[in-house]
Amino acid sequence: MIEVLENIAAELNRWTGQEVAVTWRLDRKGVATGWCRLREAACILPAAQAVASMEGRLSMVTAYLPEVAKRTGAREIAYHFDLDGTTLTISIQLPPEGAQVPSLTTIFRNADWNEREFMELYDIQVTGHPDPRRLFLDESIEPAAFERLIPYSTFSNGASSTALWERVIADNARKEAP
Amino acid sequence: MSTKTITFGPSQLALEEPMYFRVETEGEIVVGLDVLAGQVHRGMEHLVMKRNLYQNITLLERLCSLCSNSHPSTFCTAVEEVAGIIIPARAEYLRAIADEIKRISSHLFNCAVIAHITGRGPIFKQAMEVREIMQDTKEAIYGNRMDLAANCIGGVRYDLTPESAGFLSKQMERMKTPLDALLRIYATDPAIRERSEGVGVLSRRNAVDCAVVGPVARASGIDYDVRKKSPYGAYDRLSFTTSVEQSGDVRARIMVRLREAREAVSIIGQCLADMPAGPAWADTLPEIPAGEAIAKSEAPRGELIYYLITDGTDMPVRLKWRVPSYMNWDALKVMVRGERIADIPLIVNSIDPCISCTDR
Repeated sequence: MIEVLENIAAELNRWTGQEVAVTWRLDRKGVATGWCRLREAACILPAAQAVASMEGRLSMVTAYLPEVAKRTGAREIAYHFDLDGTTLTISIQLPPEGAQVPSLTTIFRNADWNEREFMELYDIQVTGHPDPRRLFLDESIEPAAFERLIPYSTFSNGASSTALWERVIADNARKEAP
Repeated sequence: MSTKTITFGPSQLALEEPMYFRVETEGEIVVGLDVLAGQVHRGMEHLVMKRNLYQNITLLERLCSLCSNSHPSTFCTAVEEVAGIIIPARAEYLRAIADEIKRISSHLFNCAVIAHITGRGPIFKQAMEVREIMQDTKEAIYGNRMDLAANCIGGVRYDLTPESAGFLSKQMERMKTPLDALLRIYATDPAIRERSEGVGVLSRRNAVDCAVVGPVARASGIDYDVRKKSPYGAYDRLSFTTSVEQSGDVRARIMVRLREAREAVSIIGQCLADMPAGPAWADTLPEIPAGEAIAKSEAPRGELIYYLITDGTDMPVRLKWRVPSYMNWDALKVMVRGERIADIPLIVNSIDPCISCTDR
């Protein structure tokens, strides 16, 4: 087990060209979770390649901007990878303004939805995304929805069926207009 | 041949919830598919950050109905991991019982819908009648037919008395023969075989590429089950086999779910036999410190993952989860390509999609 875990850190070092320290935690059932931070956000791409080389899978991506981050001036994204049952979380730091990360879609096909989702919730640009459309939120909602005060009923598409229906009628009327 | 684009909604697809698809067709053959999500987006990831950890148990159970127990149980596991709370052994078994009861109901619902779409009304009725045993079981033990309200931080909110354990055991006995019969029927019924064999194929390679999980992955030859790969709760002491098929078609997904339902009956039986006496919840809970944790479980649709960040208060700094359906939608693009338009409803339902879970 320890050998496998050490190999993961070695692969990350090799692909990113940086010293990457992975902290491992074992729960009571012996299930390992690994935690590491990359010094440079752009290194997430070679780090993802390292995971792919070990037949890992992209499990989830969590972008977040807690209150404390607004003071410290660093937002974060945590990429969670699965390595045959072991979860490896690789975090990167980004500036609060003008944050950019490379898309992982060339390595993991399922990065597509994950990236589209955090692009609409946070002020983060993903470079090289093949299809950067809105995923869940309507185009009428201002971008970076989690970073603004938006009335909940506006934010949530399902909040009012009347509002949704009125939009459908308005769309149809526009299409029918000569 | 010219390409035509058709929009499919929930009513055409026999879906319980709203999901839309833009389907590109050439004649009656599907050549492309785009999934239009977000119709039941409720901003739940925003809401969980406005509620404390205890309130979130209730909120998360209302994320969706069919996998409703998986959300609070996995979330509670994440909180327990952050706080170093060790739940009583009895609670681990009681959580497994609740999860497996939900798994059987969920899988039978999907198999019934598949029978309905293939025009086999009597089989739909039969599957729903078998499922009704599970619904009655939930109602008797938890007081509710869908949301069980079984979980709390530090254990579970219910216990089984000798009488209720005996009732559950009898109900599970009642499930065995009908489930075996359903397995035989779905394996041999000519109409179901005709519609499901070789239809909506997802090869193992494509399944890996799409990163699918759960029965969809196992039906394509990927032997991955969180209960085995990252054991949690009582699963490290329970004996069960994962069902894996190689053909990756609609039929394979049906068979995997039916076998899993049958296996879940055995798991519940083992839990009842092996469950130690003792408390079902932790008496006192520590303060939840600042920290972060990952918790995973095998929900009926596959791997469910939660990520929790805390700062020492009762409010989560960030709570994120990814449901199994999230990647399974994408696999539909592969499954429907080259298939007939008429088979879209069947193929879409064969991934057992959970839309409330996806949109959040």
